[in-house]
Amino acid sequence: MKRRDFLAASTATLATAAHVPKGKADACIFLWLGGGAAHMDTFDPKPLGDGKKVAGSYYKAINTAIKGEQVCEHLHRTAPLMDRAIAVRSIMHDISGEHAAAANLVHTGRKPSGTIIYPAIGSIVSNQLGAKTAEVPPYVVMGYPSIIRDPGFLGARYGYIYLTQIETGPAGLLRPPDVDLNREDRRETLLAKIREEYTKRHPKDQTVLQQEAITTSAYKLAGPKFLNVFDLARESSTLRESYGGEFGQRCLLARRLVQSGVRFVEVSHNLNFLNGSGWDTHNDGQVKQHLLIEELDKAFSSLLIDLEKNKMLDTTLVVIATEFGRPPDFDAGGGRGHQSAGFSMVLAGGGLKTGQVIGRTDEVGRKVVDRPVSIPDFHATIHCALGIDPHKNLYAGDRPVPITDRGTPIAELFA
Amino acid sequence: MLHKLVTLLTLAAASPLSAGLLDKSPVRVEIFENLPPGTELSPTGAPAYQYTESAFGFPRLPLKYSAEALPQDRSVPFALRASFERVIPAGPHRFRLRARGAARLLIDGVEVAKTNKQKPNTTGDDPVPEPPVRDETGHRPLTHPHQDVFLNFPGDGKPHTFALIALIGGKGLMPTPGELAVSFGKPGELEHLLGPDNSPRLTDLGWETHVAQQETLHRQADRERRLEASREVSARWNTRHDEARAFYKDRHVPIPAATPNLPANNAIDHFLNTKLKAAALAPRPLTDDLEFLRRLSLDSTGLIPTADEIRAFQSLPAATRRAKTIDRLLNHPDWADNWVSYWQDVLAENPGILKPDLNNTGPFRYWIHQSFSDGIPFDRFVTELVQMEGSVHLGAPAAFSQATLNDAPMAAKAEILGLAFLGTKLGCARCHDAPFHPYKQQDLFSMAAMLNGKALKLPVASTVPLGEGSRKPAVSISLKAGEAINPGWAFNDLIRHDETGSLPTEGKVESRRTLAGLIVSPKNERFAQVVVNRVWKRYFGIGIVEPVDDWAFAKPSHPELMQFLAREFVTSGYDLKHLARLIFSSHAYQRRPLESLAATQLSPQNRLFAGPVRRKLSAEQLVDSLHRAVGKAFECEDLNLNPAGDRPPAQFLNMGKPSRSWQMTALSNERDRPALALPIAQALIDVLTNYGWRQSRQNPSTTRDDGASPMQTLILANGVLGTRILRLSDDSAFTDLALLDLPVEKLVEEAFLRILSRPPTATEITAMANLLRPAYATRKVAGAQTGYAALKSDNRVSWSNHLSAEATLIRMDEEKKMRLGAEPTKRLKTEFRVLFEDALWAMLNSPEFVLLP
Repeated sequence: MKRRDFLAASTATLATAAHVPKGKADACIFLWLGGGAAHMDTFDPKPLGDGKKVAGSYYKAINTAIKGEQVCEHLHRTAPLMDRAIAVRSIMHDISGEHAAAANLVHTGRKPSGTIIYPAIGSIVSNQLGAKTAEVPPYVVMGYPSIIRDPGFLGARYGYIYLTQIETGPAGLLRPPDVDLNREDRRETLLAKIREEYTKRHPKDQTVLQQEAITTSAYKLAGPKFLNVFDLARESSTLRESYGGEFGQRCLLARRLVQSGVRFVEVSHNLNFLNGSGWDTHNDGQVKQHLLIEELDKAFSSLLIDLEKNKMLDTTLVVIATEFGRPPDFDAGGGRGHQSAGFSMVLAGGGLKTGQVIGRTDEVGRKVVDRPVSIPDFHATIHCALGIDPHKNLYAGDRPVPITDRGTPIAELFA
Repeated sequence: MLHKLVTLLTLAAASPLSAGLLDKSPVRVEIFENLPPGTELSPTGAPAYQYTESAFGFPRLPLKYSAEALPQDRSVPFALRASFERVIPAGPHRFRLRARGAARLLIDGVEVAKTNKQKPNTTGDDPVPEPPVRDETGHRPLTHPHQDVFLNFPGDGKPHTFALIALIGGKGLMPTPGELAVSFGKPGELEHLLGPDNSPRLTDLGWETHVAQQETLHRQADRERRLEASREVSARWNTRHDEARAFYKDRHVPIPAATPNLPANNAIDHFLNTKLKAAALAPRPLTDDLEFLRRLSLDSTGLIPTADEIRAFQSLPAATRRAKTIDRLLNHPDWADNWVSYWQDVLAENPGILKPDLNNTGPFRYWIHQSFSDGIPFDRFVTELVQMEGSVHLGAPAAFSQATLNDAPMAAKAEILGLAFLGTKLGCARCHDAPFHPYKQQDLFSMAAMLNGKALKLPVASTVPLGEGSRKPAVSISLKAGEAINPGWAFNDLIRHDETGSLPTEGKVESRRTLAGLIVSPKNERFAQVVVNRVWKRYFGIGIVEPVDDWAFAKPSHPELMQFLAREFVTSGYDLKHLARLIFSSHAYQRRPLESLAATQLSPQNRLFAGPVRRKLSAEQLVDSLHRAVGKAFECEDLNLNPAGDRPPAQFLNMGKPSRSWQMTALSNERDRPALALPIAQALIDVLTNYGWRQSRQNPSTTRDDGASPMQTLILANGVLGTRILRLSDDSAFTDLALLDLPVEKLVEEAFLRILSRPPTATEITAMANLLRPAYATRKVAGAQTGYAALKSDNRVSWSNHLSAEATLIRMDEEKKMRLGAEPTKRLKTEFRVLFEDALWAMLNSPEFVLLP
């Protein structure tokens, strides 16, 4: 028996114990509200506070398409679409001090162990499902490359292609601005000559031939089929405008990427120039937080409508995630600190039973009082929606590592 | 007072306090430590150190070393006092005191100017500081948060004494001087730094040149001082090595006789040939000279050869050019650079520039570099590593002791040491007895306790959860959470206590010293063999034992060769250069690569070394060689998110301005904030990471994940760094080359030599020359200006203001500009320039560039 078979066999008993629902989504768009979005100011509204001493929401609440459930007034485009979504209001974990550590937890589903490096959820999906077609990569990030998004022990081939701004495009894939088609042709013609000479000198060298083959496939990946996906001008101006600013354009690009066959797209929303702090609304970051919420509202609602129009909403799981929430109390500067003991994340589409609210926090939103959902549970839900068994083992060398750390999917969301 | 001075002078004579290079300059500098509160700015008594400088500009201070030559922290704050006497000509003058923190200027003993103390910063909400304002005269403007204090001084043609006293570092501050300076001049004229006539001007150019010179001078002076400081220790290591030689004197490994018809350059070949002959396998043919030179150059210095080096090589007599070049490159300073990245991986060096993250260490890269650059014997290197002393933030081995946010840092370190030097893979034993290795959890933790210096408690997170209702674990568990494990050595099969001998270094923690003694004992052949095998794998692409870091079931392909090399290594005084020379000189190393790594090669009995495995340039070698090929300097902003120096090094390390790839570090932008991006560095990191460099080295690794991938090709072909490297800007050596009056074929030949270390083939020369020829005659722009503006990112943006909209917009704008690359030269017409760039692009993007010959 091989080492890994032995360990797999000895841990198999665990996996079979729980029933694992299997969803029908085949792609995921993961919207990341970096900084820690205040749940009582977004998807879990509470009685109004005063911005100083009295704890509570900063904005009025409005009704949604889910009977009896409200969201903040700045989510007015999303509110009537909440029947396509699920507000999970009882997420909890115990890292509230440090953004990087909490962001790592929410991306990998685990606390770091010190012995192995856990992969981000995007890398796991990439590892389990691959891209839908060979011409596109499985995993794209719109945000900064960092270890929280990395493939960890799965290895570099489950990494991502990234871009930090729509305008600059994906690093390495777009031709440099001063290289037109004519120059590109010339370059590739010259390169072909040198490559030909090189292989002629090493006709039987496996490493040389493999490097040659990869080079050929690389230029295919950077070919028009995939690069056209990044050309948002191919969409109508009405649609583009409906999505809003940079973040909205990223969401539109995410739809186009999924349409082209990409499995997992992470879209970061942390443009702190809107309110001076992004979602990390300490002090006066609170004052203009509504601009951030409105941008999210515009982009998210347009994405849902657009996916639906393209008949992709049932197969595309849209997630709104953040590293933690914020307390209902206000700090000395009128903003909010960090709170991980109870906050919200949102799921939409993906063939789930939408139009529900899962879990509940107390009257002001300080603690979870009903149906707590852990980060592993949340991850298990995403994996199940994508048809991935969250108990399945991945391998770090010989060591079996289940996809989630004993996460249980939210059963109510599956038919 | 007089008595004190005499004591000081006697001391200075007994153990020279000042370094040779800096001791003839006119400005006397003293450094005072352990300042009694209240007297910080009026230090008295004997200085901790004194030296001299050329002028009153102090961007860099001497490092302080222990008797083992390890960098030490100075007490913070510490004070610098600089004194000097000179004549101030008659007429009005203006003096300027520039400092980041508290400083005083005294003329003739009287305080005439002072600056305020620097305050620690704890916010991220500051506004971006105003842009620096340049005065009409063109002085280097003041950068945030420096202070300028002016003083009018009427010169009288007589000598005056000048003294500057400045406070460096302090609680919550970086212990660095910033742009500490005193300058003076006539009103309305450019000021010079205070010092003899013709001291540097206080302009951007004047200051930057001064900083660069200071860096060079101090680096040399630091080196001389640490070699001097550790002379005694070095002598004791030499004695120990003599003893090791005596021990192995009559224990030679017999070298097999020559095998008829099989080529052999040295003993290595004799060992290999026996097995090759038995397998009736022909060795691969010898590389041609230029293939050999490119491979050797990369293996020894991490860089492709320059065209001049190629020509010098070719001008040597054919019979001796390889041997001569091996010697030359082994003694090249870049030898050290090429080893740093290797040990960064193996030892999990993982400094972060932004607050502690998982398994961050201090930047012990500097000590690795120092050790290889000073030629420290490898057993001493490992001993110092295990003893973990010196400064954490200056990158002494103490930096290795850290593993931030890890609940059992010493267990992590024991695991690293096991993999690196003993071939024991103890990772599984972190949480339970290893299922596939003969190691118990106790074995790892007792070694960890040796590093800890006392018993170590097993943390809960290093156990398998055994809660109510949980499954029966698949692994065996012999320790309980919270159990205390005493220091102890579990690997008596590898080395026994009574064989270690006495180590030349004392060390603060006895059990660490014992552990180091066990690992590096000359009788411990395992250590020498593991190191030999690592070096062998680096140069052949596959080890005599595989995997190189897990020997539990090791079967060496050539046990006698292994033993021979290990003894060579020990008796050479643990000299990696001796080992490398043996390998480089062998016929086996100098052969063409194997054409395929057939499965048979992977099993030890069939591993024959008919030739080396074809390897790829490492990420660092690739990026450094790209720069070398086009003759451009390595451009990067400071790897530092705290340019104001108003936060402590434990939170924000300043990793400085890199000049080689190993000096790069994780940008740590987990917060996803545009204002925390470093756009120049990011372009370098995009290439490095695609080729297997890890920006975060949370765990050790020997074999990189750098298999061919499409993104490797693309990031080079289209990425920001590729564009920057290729651009015929005024800092490209190819711009200058294109302006020489060479025949176009010669231009092409030279380009191939510089990039691919070989002349072009007839087909290549025709294709390239035909392309360039039509635009070649008219390529020059007469009278065009030259001048290169180095890439800059705005250093006003920092952690302190990263939440502001302005900081965000500044960085986002810079990212866009980086895409455009450097400004093209005006001296070449665009029509020709783009053709030549495209030709160079094709050479640099050929798979030939990234594969070793």
